[in-house]
Amino acid sequence: MARFLLKRLGLAIITLWLLATIVFAIVNVLPGNVGRQVLGPFASQQSVDAYNHELGTDRPLINQYSKSLTNLATFDFGNSYSTKEDVAPKITKALFRSAKLAGLALILTVPIGIAAGAYAARRKDKLADRTIVMTGLATSSMPEFVTATILVALFCSSRDSYFRAFADPPDGTSFFGQFKYLFMPGLAMAIVYFGYIARITRAGVINALEADYSRTAIMKGLTSGRVMRRHVLRNALGPTISVVGVQIGYLFGGILGVEKVFNYHGLGTEILNAIGNQDLPILSAAVLTVGIVYMLATLAADVLIAWLNPRVLLETKR
Amino acid sequence: MTDTPMSGASTATLNKPPAALEIIDLEVAYIVRGVPREVLRGVSFTVAPGEAFGLVSESGCGKSTSAYAALRYLPRNGRITGGKVMVDGDDITAMNTSQLQKFRATEASMVYQDPGQALNPSVRVGRQIIESFTLLGQNKSQAHESALKALHKVRIAAPESVMDRFPFQLSGGMQQRVVIAMALACDPKLLVLDEPTTGLDATVEAEVLDLVRTLRQESDAAILMIAHNLGIIRNMCDRVGVMYAGKIVEQGVCADVFDNPQHPYTVGLLRSLPRHGIRKTDRALATIPGILPLIGTTLPTCVYVDRCPIATDLCRTEVPPVVTIGDDPGRFTRCHYPDRVKDIPEDLAPVGISMLTQRADQPDVLELSHVSKTFRQRGHDIPALVDVELELGEGETLGIVGESGSGKSTLAKTMLGIEAADDGGQVSLDGHGLEGVAAKRSADDKRSMQMVFQNPDSALNRAWSVRRILVRSVRKLTGVGADEANKRVEALAAHLRLTPRHLDLKPRQLSGGLKQRVAIARAFAGDPRIVVCDEPTSALDVSVQAAILNLLADLQAQQKTSYVFITHDMGVVRYLADRIAVMYLGRIQEVGLTDDVFKGPHHPYTEALLSAVPNVDGEEKVRIRLDGEIPTPANPPSGCVFHPRCPRVIMGVCDVTEPALLEVAPNHSMRCHIPVEELRVLQNIE
Amino acid sequence: MSLDPEPVPTVVDPVTPNVNVVAGERKQARRENFRLLIKRPGFVIGALVSLFWVVCAIFGDAITPYDPLNFRTTKHLKPFGKYIFGTDQSGRDIVSRVMAGARDVLIVAPPAAIFGVLAGTMLGLIMGYFGGWVDSVLSRVVDAFLALPVLLIALLALVTLGKSRVVVIIVVSILFAPVVSRTIRAAVLAERDLDYVTSARLRGEGSIFIMFREILPNVSGPIVVELTVRIGYAVFTIATLSFLGVGPPPPSPDWGAQVSDGYGVLSAGIWWPTIFPALAIATLVIAVNLMADAVQSVLEG
Repeated sequence: MARFLLKRLGLAIITLWLLATIVFAIVNVLPGNVGRQVLGPFASQQSVDAYNHELGTDRPLINQYSKSLTNLATFDFGNSYSTKEDVAPKITKALFRSAKLAGLALILTVPIGIAAGAYAARRKDKLADRTIVMTGLATSSMPEFVTATILVALFCSSRDSYFRAFADPPDGTSFFGQFKYLFMPGLAMAIVYFGYIARITRAGVINALEADYSRTAIMKGLTSGRVMRRHVLRNALGPTISVVGVQIGYLFGGILGVEKVFNYHGLGTEILNAIGNQDLPILSAAVLTVGIVYMLATLAADVLIAWLNPRVLLETKR
Repeated sequence: MTDTPMSGASTATLNKPPAALEIIDLEVAYIVRGVPREVLRGVSFTVAPGEAFGLVSESGCGKSTSAYAALRYLPRNGRITGGKVMVDGDDITAMNTSQLQKFRATEASMVYQDPGQALNPSVRVGRQIIESFTLLGQNKSQAHESALKALHKVRIAAPESVMDRFPFQLSGGMQQRVVIAMALACDPKLLVLDEPTTGLDATVEAEVLDLVRTLRQESDAAILMIAHNLGIIRNMCDRVGVMYAGKIVEQGVCADVFDNPQHPYTVGLLRSLPRHGIRKTDRALATIPGILPLIGTTLPTCVYVDRCPIATDLCRTEVPPVVTIGDDPGRFTRCHYPDRVKDIPEDLAPVGISMLTQRADQPDVLELSHVSKTFRQRGHDIPALVDVELELGEGETLGIVGESGSGKSTLAKTMLGIEAADDGGQVSLDGHGLEGVAAKRSADDKRSMQMVFQNPDSALNRAWSVRRILVRSVRKLTGVGADEANKRVEALAAHLRLTPRHLDLKPRQLSGGLKQRVAIARAFAGDPRIVVCDEPTSALDVSVQAAILNLLADLQAQQKTSYVFITHDMGVVRYLADRIAVMYLGRIQEVGLTDDVFKGPHHPYTEALLSAVPNVDGEEKVRIRLDGEIPTPANPPSGCVFHPRCPRVIMGVCDVTEPALLEVAPNHSMRCHIPVEELRVLQNIE
Repeated sequence: MSLDPEPVPTVVDPVTPNVNVVAGERKQARRENFRLLIKRPGFVIGALVSLFWVVCAIFGDAITPYDPLNFRTTKHLKPFGKYIFGTDQSGRDIVSRVMAGARDVLIVAPPAAIFGVLAGTMLGLIMGYFGGWVDSVLSRVVDAFLALPVLLIALLALVTLGKSRVVVIIVVSILFAPVVSRTIRAAVLAERDLDYVTSARLRGEGSIFIMFREILPNVSGPIVVELTVRIGYAVFTIATLSFLGVGPPPPSPDWGAQVSDGYGVLSAGIWWPTIFPALAIATLVIAVNLMADAVQSVLEG
């Protein structure tokens, strides 16, 4: 297990390095003058130069590159261009707020998605199955902001609605008091991810049910519930877990639209503000942060899969 | 379909308890796109307690469906549309779900074809066995004890450690023992074995079958056994039913059915096998013309009428009666003319075929000297071939036999240049050395050596038409233009009995036999000197296999092509090969003329291989059995690589030095420390 | 060793396999697939809805009831009156703007998907066919790309490279290519080990021939599936980008931009300027995904 972890961690670090390089390339290397592009054609040459200097784009590329890697390693992203604040604490705070939303979405969607997928698999090609599959297909097709606007229109559009269109709970709101603020934006994302999870679980369970070992279990005389719990799910959930891992990364992309619709001050809003203010340090720090979250989530998923399926571990050992 | 045959057991045992398994007029259909397609069309048979009943047939005749129906396990779209399945007097077709679960937990068990798949990959072996016992109401520690005992019973030496492992950490033979242990947990009244040894190596298969035979004596279970290998059924079962198109066409005591078949289908099936040591010079193998009626189509009066050599108008107008033979009411055939079955003529040998009896006068086409092949995997050297010396004469067939890991496929790949041999080895064609990899070989060298693969589905590009496959090969191998290539392809196709209509089809529109014909045609596209055939018939039914073997013999007789024929089937290699090389763990252990290798004295490994063949002729043989697992090439044993499993091992010698491949008689070499004269005595060879 | 002679799969279709000779010509397979597709209600509905939006995109203001850009009347008129979807905050006719807005998405999404699939297919073919270190290195890069938050990278690139359609197409296709390449790589890996490839090498075919003439036709199924799926994702991504403010500038009738313009008054009960374009996005992505789902089950089921 230790060996597997080390190997997997090594891969994660390499991937992170590649991600940093890509972000660096987009910001610094691609043709064109970043300052000019960001500030627009009417800005004075002076302010363009000042912007470039602030970013450090006027220094030799190799220096910039090594600095960006050091920054990533020390989680120091310099100062915001627009507000001069230190970027790292700002991002961390925003990340925490977004994580709350994303976590709620996962709590809502993962158990329901898995249950629906497993149920659909057992009722394959029956009406219940078709309904779940089609619902999942439709909901997972829609961008998060579309679901979010529809939810707002349905549930938050009048003054006496229980749920709030402005999702930021006032400071000091109790843990449970936050529910009426966070539930709708969380649901908006949960609805989108439900379809993916249900679909991949369904496929996994169908595969496992069709496998010979399930036949063996049935022929042993096990009840269908026991066949499902002891033999099917363990083998079937691998793909689901890796999809959930990947989705934790996607959640932080989709969260932008949701935060905008619900006026929630998380990472998404930071990013959108940074775009408005042409604040590249914040923007690239946010992208890298999301990358790190994604990396950790997929790492956790892989470890969980390896634990469930011993063959994975053995293959790395050999 | 109302003519239920009276089964032997039910009449002969009037006063005894009910049969362990009684299938009465069973009809099963699969619902495909809403339409029921019949697979079983009135199957009836009885198995008494302690008796073993076998079902044989080619693919698609319904024997596996019968086996699973006996435990009422059908695919999701399968339905029992008629008849009954009685186990120990209870009608299982009438059971509700919980009764059925109880029945499966306590009364009946099954052993499956692919044990690796049948065990749950992510649950430890121990837990899976224990589960079978807890189902019987045992508590955790009792079940643990029982599981250990069960593993002991199936001759697993270190049960504790096996319990702790995952299925994929066990060899195929061990996995099947575990499955058998689980099946015996409830001391079943009915045990169904569905191709239990298909996919296992011959020596391992022999061990597993021995185990089943021993366990039978310890239990009173009725056994229903499914196998496509007639030899296994003959060796394992008391009685047999021959199925065709969802019906049992002939039934009786094994020896009688196999030695004295009374239905034209049984006759065809048995004659398509290379039996009784026949060779290609003796006669061609029988083929069964036509195809199996499609499942779900309306059957003619006699299911076999369209393929029967002795069918008359009567067969087309009247359903054949169930004709009992002799005094045994369980011995019957469904044929109008059981008396004429004996007169079905045998096929003749292909014209111009000859068998080589010695090889000194043959110029060698292909020569391998000191050919080794070492794979590197994660920093480890894996010697797949070790110092192979071989030669192949013009028009000669060299059979290569061996089990998994023997290196026979690597040998083929090295000859062809799919893999380059290690430095120091040399493959020569007509006296000139060949480049290691095919890409570097000259066009003429490529043309001279081609291959026929095991699985035509994999070997033919399914996106291409047959014509395109063949034309491309002709053009690439001979360099002729498109028009000329087209002409040649049409000639080639005609030669291989493919019609012009076949040329415009895609591979998936052809049957297995036709696909393999196309693959053979492709290998012959450039008039090769040598064709390497890698298990070309092992994916095919026996009657189709017969047609392919006949075709290969024919082509060789006409074109003087040399074959390297890789197989694990001793019957096939005896029929077709002039010489045989026996391989084990990358080394040639014995090589000689076919007769010499079969007659002996043999290398002990060859002896074991020959003893392992379940013989359909029922001839007694000296039997030696091998213990233990086949070692992996990555970690070969010291000394003679065969010594850990060799029943004739001389400790202190065999485990220290590896014997050289020495000529023990003209054209007969062996790699063994035991002097050949001693082997002759040990093996009782006159 | 020998193949399993009589398997009992979960669903048995005894009619199709091992048919000795089925009448068949070259294009039959394709026609057969199409016949299966149009039998599926999901595909038909998806195709009809998509077709509607394509027609809107092609003809634009030629078929809208009012001029989507310049026609003005009272703002925030309720729907289902004279103006069937009502009017927006500038008094423009929403139904006209929704119809015209199809063009902004459909001019960008399909090309982005097509280029992404093309690049991904090439990459997947190379990785799968050559294997070894080529595959290891490229796989690492692909994994890194897969770890990229697509939307964020697109945002970053649009901010630094400028907000043009060409940039959107390039960025989205580059971000899609790695995903596609993984699918194609897996399909090619399965093909590469088949004996027809060995056989081609034995008769001296080169790598390019084997990749493009032998293997490519056999992985066309996954490619077509990827293409339809990616079009759906492209619409998804591009609509989100314009909602986030990096789409075409106002007064363009782009759907995402319309939602962005109107969502602020949602909580005041003025839902129609937002919901109709949002539903337009929903119908288009669902339609495309319905088609993708049908294509997938016909080609891979």
